[in-house]
Amino acid sequence: MKKAYWAGAVIIIAFLALGLSTFTKSMTPYVTFDEAREAQRTVQVMGGLEKGTSRYDTSTKTLHFNLIDEKTRAVMPVAYRDIKPANFEEAVSIVAIGKYHGKEFVAEKLLVKCPSKYQGEEVEKKYGGPQKL
Amino acid sequence: MNPQQIGFAPGTLAIWFSLVAGIATCLAYYRALRLAPASAPERRAAEYGDQIRFARSLYLAFAGGIFVASALLLRVLLSHDFRISYVASYSGLDLPLNYLFSTFWAGQEGSFLLWLFFGGLIGFAVIQTAREQEPQVMIIYVLSFLGIVAILAKQPPFRFLAEVPPDGQGLNPLLQDPWMVIHPPVMFAGFASLSVPFAFAIGALWSKRWDGWVVRAMPWALFSMVTLGTAILMGGYWAYKTLGWGGYWAWDPVENTSLVPWLATVALVHGMFLQKNREKHRKINLILAILAFCCILYGTFLTRSGVLADFSVHSFVDLGITGWLVAIIGVFFFGGLGLLAYRWREIPKEPVIDPETGKEKEEPFLSRSVLFILSVTLFCASGIVILLGTSAPILTRMFGKASQVATSFYNVTHTPVAAIMVLLISLVPFITWRGEAPGSLLKKSVFSLLIGLCGFGLAFAAGVRKPMDLLIIGLSAVGLAASAEAIVLYVRRRAIRSMGGYLSHAGTSIMIAGILISGVYEEKAQVTLPKGQPIQVGTSTMTFTRTVFVNEDGEVKQFNQLNPALLPDRRAKQAMEVEVKSGTGKVWKAYPKMYQNERTQQLMANPDVRSTPLMDLYLSPQSYDPGSPARQEGTVLKLEKGIAKTVDGVTFKFIDFSADKSQVESATPRVTVTARLLVSAGAGPAELEARFVTLIGASGPGGTQADDVAIPGTEGRFRIRKTAASEGVIEIEVLGLNPGSDLKPATPESFSVDVTRKPLISLVWTGFYIMMAGGILALFRRMQDANRASLA
Repeated sequence: MKKAYWAGAVIIIAFLALGLSTFTKSMTPYVTFDEAREAQRTVQVMGGLEKGTSRYDTSTKTLHFNLIDEKTRAVMPVAYRDIKPANFEEAVSIVAIGKYHGKEFVAEKLLVKCPSKYQGEEVEKKYGGPQKL
Repeated sequence: MNPQQIGFAPGTLAIWFSLVAGIATCLAYYRALRLAPASAPERRAAEYGDQIRFARSLYLAFAGGIFVASALLLRVLLSHDFRISYVASYSGLDLPLNYLFSTFWAGQEGSFLLWLFFGGLIGFAVIQTAREQEPQVMIIYVLSFLGIVAILAKQPPFRFLAEVPPDGQGLNPLLQDPWMVIHPPVMFAGFASLSVPFAFAIGALWSKRWDGWVVRAMPWALFSMVTLGTAILMGGYWAYKTLGWGGYWAWDPVENTSLVPWLATVALVHGMFLQKNREKHRKINLILAILAFCCILYGTFLTRSGVLADFSVHSFVDLGITGWLVAIIGVFFFGGLGLLAYRWREIPKEPVIDPETGKEKEEPFLSRSVLFILSVTLFCASGIVILLGTSAPILTRMFGKASQVATSFYNVTHTPVAAIMVLLISLVPFITWRGEAPGSLLKKSVFSLLIGLCGFGLAFAAGVRKPMDLLIIGLSAVGLAASAEAIVLYVRRRAIRSMGGYLSHAGTSIMIAGILISGVYEEKAQVTLPKGQPIQVGTSTMTFTRTVFVNEDGEVKQFNQLNPALLPDRRAKQAMEVEVKSGTGKVWKAYPKMYQNERTQQLMANPDVRSTPLMDLYLSPQSYDPGSPARQEGTVLKLEKGIAKTVDGVTFKFIDFSADKSQVESATPRVTVTARLLVSAGAGPAELEARFVTLIGASGPGGTQADDVAIPGTEGRFRIRKTAASEGVIEIEVLGLNPGSDLKPATPESFSVDVTRKPLISLVWTGFYIMMAGGILALFRRMQDANRASLA
């Protein structure tokens, strides 16, 4: 029985070691546009879609658009070589995960936040909801 | 509380009533506990019975309050009572009946109410099955829901708006799917059911009933495993069929927070089985039952407090209940583990004593007990790692920048988990509780090993080369064969009801192989299909034939064939008809959908999935280009005041402008802007004026008029396209300077689509069904056990 506990402990330790090393490796911190340009690793940036900048290049199958920082008004060109996410144009904010490469941020993954998420708040703003306690 | 916050009074009152009745139920059961027959003489048995009946009727009031609140919420949703904020936020006049039901759980408050609804329902079954443990179990069970009742009492879904909108915001179009009508109720039934093992575990610690609680709680743990598992798979299947990103699992926080409690429940089921057979390892199960429940609460906190709002596509926004959720988690986590620590030394260990030597007997390494302990360890390790990954944003925020882990984190860590899991599944049928010598193990498992070798060979022949993938596929085959052998034995012995475990193991083996093969060996291609032109994609040929409408009954129609009087037609969606001719000559039509949601103006896309046992062909729409005829299009220049720009040898400089607003009140109200530009072509600089008229109240192409202005000394001309006069910027289009480059050729109507071939993804679903069938079989078996057991 003791051997079993040892075997269990070995599995757990090996697994946690694998988990922790993968954890630090696959970490993608949130950074500002400037930091993203300097970063060597995969990072994520967030911003709004700058109106009228999105275009899909059918020859290279890449979606290009500009992210705009709502506060600083800084702009970051982004390229995404995958399916254009549903509701992309209506996004309230976009999170791009990837690396800065050459002149643009090459996104591996996009998270698109849609206005529908904020429906409740919108309705209450428009028609006067009760005070939140 | 102001009247608006209370809103629709009957609903809010029902919730408050339930809160009070819940507290009363706990107090009544507590009183019954003190009259329990075990600790009282014979004459008090009748008194105990009366008290239990009284407590039960209070429970009926508690659950009744929740049912009434639920019925009222459903009623105001069905009757489109837009006075109520919740109805106006999530419902709309355009929804058919089945999706009106979905609006019930489209928001936070409603989904909490759904959770409570199942909690209330399940409680009646708990009363029936808890028997001698009823008072303690019911106190903890009701307490586990009171926190949520309190949240709803504070934030009832019946709050009024100040004004009544004419229509609601409508239901999120992604949720308008049949799967989304049933997935959330099953999920919340699973969530609610996890309160039961928790209540039994705390009850056991309370009354020191170390083995009895497992007998009664085991069917419940299996029930949670089956419901949560089914709900998770339904969610994945919905994502696969509807969202179009091509997979069924994205390791999103919302998915993870339902997966971790499920893993804890699976671990609990294994731990309980071990305890029932060996009458030891009691602490493991107490810990697991407490943690599984806390995981659900923690997941609720992660996804509903808004802490992950920047990291998940799913997460709800902050409802202002973060503090409450933290408090609830704190109470149950520290309360539960604190009680466990308090009792820790009282929990009997009961070591197996060797009769010959009189010393504690070592269990052999290759024994079933060890396999079970390893499996519990494995589930826990997997759960901890997923929890760690999901909590990364919170953990990293403590030390600096909030960060998220990439999905590769989960995939990398779970490859060894899958390998060890199928290894354990392969071993368990051949190893008895007494232990097994390595030689006899080899002899017993020779048939399964041969099958495994076949699986290995098949995978190798199909082109799998990565050693880890080959290992997992080979071991899955061994696991399947070993479990099948065991199942055959049970069938021969006419003991079908006892074979649930092996059935689940067979399903798991199939599923793991399916997950690996369909995930790693999928082929993906992005193609653009010009209308009417066959394009070779892999082994098949695809032709984009036309755009059509597909109604809710699945009928394909042209726009003018739709009958607007019929609801399915009214909700018809635009789709692209693609004729697919497979390599074997089979021809069929695929209808990937691409349409604009009228209410939100969002562009929606649903894939078309053609499933066969060996392969799924997955067509995910990307973009549709209606095409355009050949046309003249000039060069567009954006001119800032005073800054010169040159195109084809002509320099433009925007000097200033004047706006004539005298016609604003006329019959055709308009504003005329006249801009002065300095234009220098070969003939030297000339000052030119260009007029731009904006018709007020008109939009579209006819809303503005611009004069063409000839550029002296050239064939060219220019006109104003846009003015942003206040910013000192105008936009002009220059034409005719270079006729060749102005001519834009015609582009054909085309449809871009992602084509993915997913080999053997059917194994994922099949494996899962078998796994759940095993779970249900085991559930019935353990229910019989519990019914037969008469415990003190």
